[in-house]
Amino acid sequence: MTISGPAAIWKRTSSGEPVRSFDDSFTAVHSRLESLSAQDAVFAAHLEILDDPMIKDAVAESVASGMDELAALRAARDGIVAMFGQVDDEYLRARADDVRDIFGQIEACMCGVAAGPVELPQGAVLVAEELFPSDVPGIDFSRIAGILCAKGSSTSHVCIMAHSKGVPIQVGADISGIKEGDIVSVDDPMVDGGRAVAAKVRAAGRKLYVNAGNLDDIRRGIEAGADGVGLFRTEFLFLERDSMPTREEQARQYKEALLACGGKVLTLRTMDAGGDKDLPYLSLPREDNPFLGLRGVRCSLARPDLLQQQLGAAVDAAREVRALCPQWFAACTPLRLMLPMVCTLEEIRAVKDALRELAADYEEILQVGIMIETPAAALDAAALATESAFFSIGSNDLTQYVMAADRGNHYVSHLYNPYSPAVRRAVELSVKAAHEAGIPVGICGEIASDPRATDYLLGLGLDSLSVSRL
Amino acid sequence: MKSASVVLSAPTGLHARPAGELVKLVKGFEGSVVKIGTSGRIVNAASMLLLLSLGIKSGTTLLVSVEGGDEQAVLDSVCAFIQAIKD
Repeated sequence: MTISGPAAIWKRTSSGEPVRSFDDSFTAVHSRLESLSAQDAVFAAHLEILDDPMIKDAVAESVASGMDELAALRAARDGIVAMFGQVDDEYLRARADDVRDIFGQIEACMCGVAAGPVELPQGAVLVAEELFPSDVPGIDFSRIAGILCAKGSSTSHVCIMAHSKGVPIQVGADISGIKEGDIVSVDDPMVDGGRAVAAKVRAAGRKLYVNAGNLDDIRRGIEAGADGVGLFRTEFLFLERDSMPTREEQARQYKEALLACGGKVLTLRTMDAGGDKDLPYLSLPREDNPFLGLRGVRCSLARPDLLQQQLGAAVDAAREVRALCPQWFAACTPLRLMLPMVCTLEEIRAVKDALRELAADYEEILQVGIMIETPAAALDAAALATESAFFSIGSNDLTQYVMAADRGNHYVSHLYNPYSPAVRRAVELSVKAAHEAGIPVGICGEIASDPRATDYLLGLGLDSLSVSRL
Repeated sequence: MKSASVVLSAPTGLHARPAGELVKLVKGFEGSVVKIGTSGRIVNAASMLLLLSLGIKSGTTLLVSVEGGDEQAVLDSVCAFIQAIKD
């Protein structure tokens, strides 16, 4: 994908004169690498390189022969880099880069070099001659839209880190003539789909969530840097089995999910049965029009025993995790319970009543919010906001219900258009109501994962986008 | 002195992180000198720089030798470590 933004140039400025001795600089770099090695094994390896007596010996030898320390350091660097031989070998070149980075850090310390962008506006493209592994901890990936480097390889540490954060990066770029603030673009075929959305959402300072259908999805999304899970479908627990999962069974799964989120938001959608998802053991009635029938929260309220089990499991999981990791709950609980197919205030209140019976203090351990996926919810969003901690727009069903068009029916599928003015109006009403009530509103339908729609959705004022995959 | 040969199967070769872990392991065997070589050169495995300079790629057969200390035990654990490197 291609992304553009104002250039923020990564500069290395130096006094030109040595300001610290080799020994002091060595010690300073050593302790910096020690503290960094805890978070990234690459720096533990760099520490091993630094600890190789060859470096100190080579410098001492040159100093003894009359060189000044800086010249001795450079001579040692050139001698050791030469050991890595020909530069056309990708493997050896990468190892030589590691060595150069370490010598560069010592030299920077000796000369009082400061490295970094002068200014880093949100959404900027970081432009650098070369970024070494030791520069990476100083890069605020959440602020930048992309990175342009003149030198470096696609397997370098900065590329790996940028990709893991969903930030596009281009190495071997022509950066000559780029001035601070010029609009430049980054072309990175390795970043696409969810990651392209991620870059834009981050550049706008909004939240990026991921949708999950099981624990693996959660782990993958959180590892890829999501701010949380915007939609955790709990159907996987209910489908393809002969009986309802017990409260204990559900609680165990929700606890695992909360732990996998590591304190970030987990939006647990309550059972969304009905419609096209039939669960034989519920023996739901046969309906002529299941999409206008007992779906989502309607189904849960029709079967209070099932609702109680699921709510009880959520409460149990939250309590257990709070006992293990109270700091996650300190500011605000990370567990959000999301009700699907809500149309009326009474539905939300009924669920809250059931919760209150299970746990009088439920508000301390979970937030209750709703999906906006019916025209009723969008039209009456201002009222529903009074009983909701958050909104999440389910654009697939919202489009289908607003346009009264089944997307799978080819006679009317042309009407199924999430960009249509009526759907846009429904989203605008929901966003306005949420913001007037001071609650966040996100979107978790398919459109949220389409990079072409991201600017449009951010322009509508959505606080979070939940993508299907990061 | 005891020696054995072992093949590095890690697809990206012996890059910085596993090499660092290998050096750390080798340094832990007091009284033993561990050397690792390819067809061209043999180096002291306690030196990260020398080890990296071998440019060990995936599929390379390495000669490991140990002198001093409990030679067989050290040899076995170094070979096992190299074989277990997977990334």
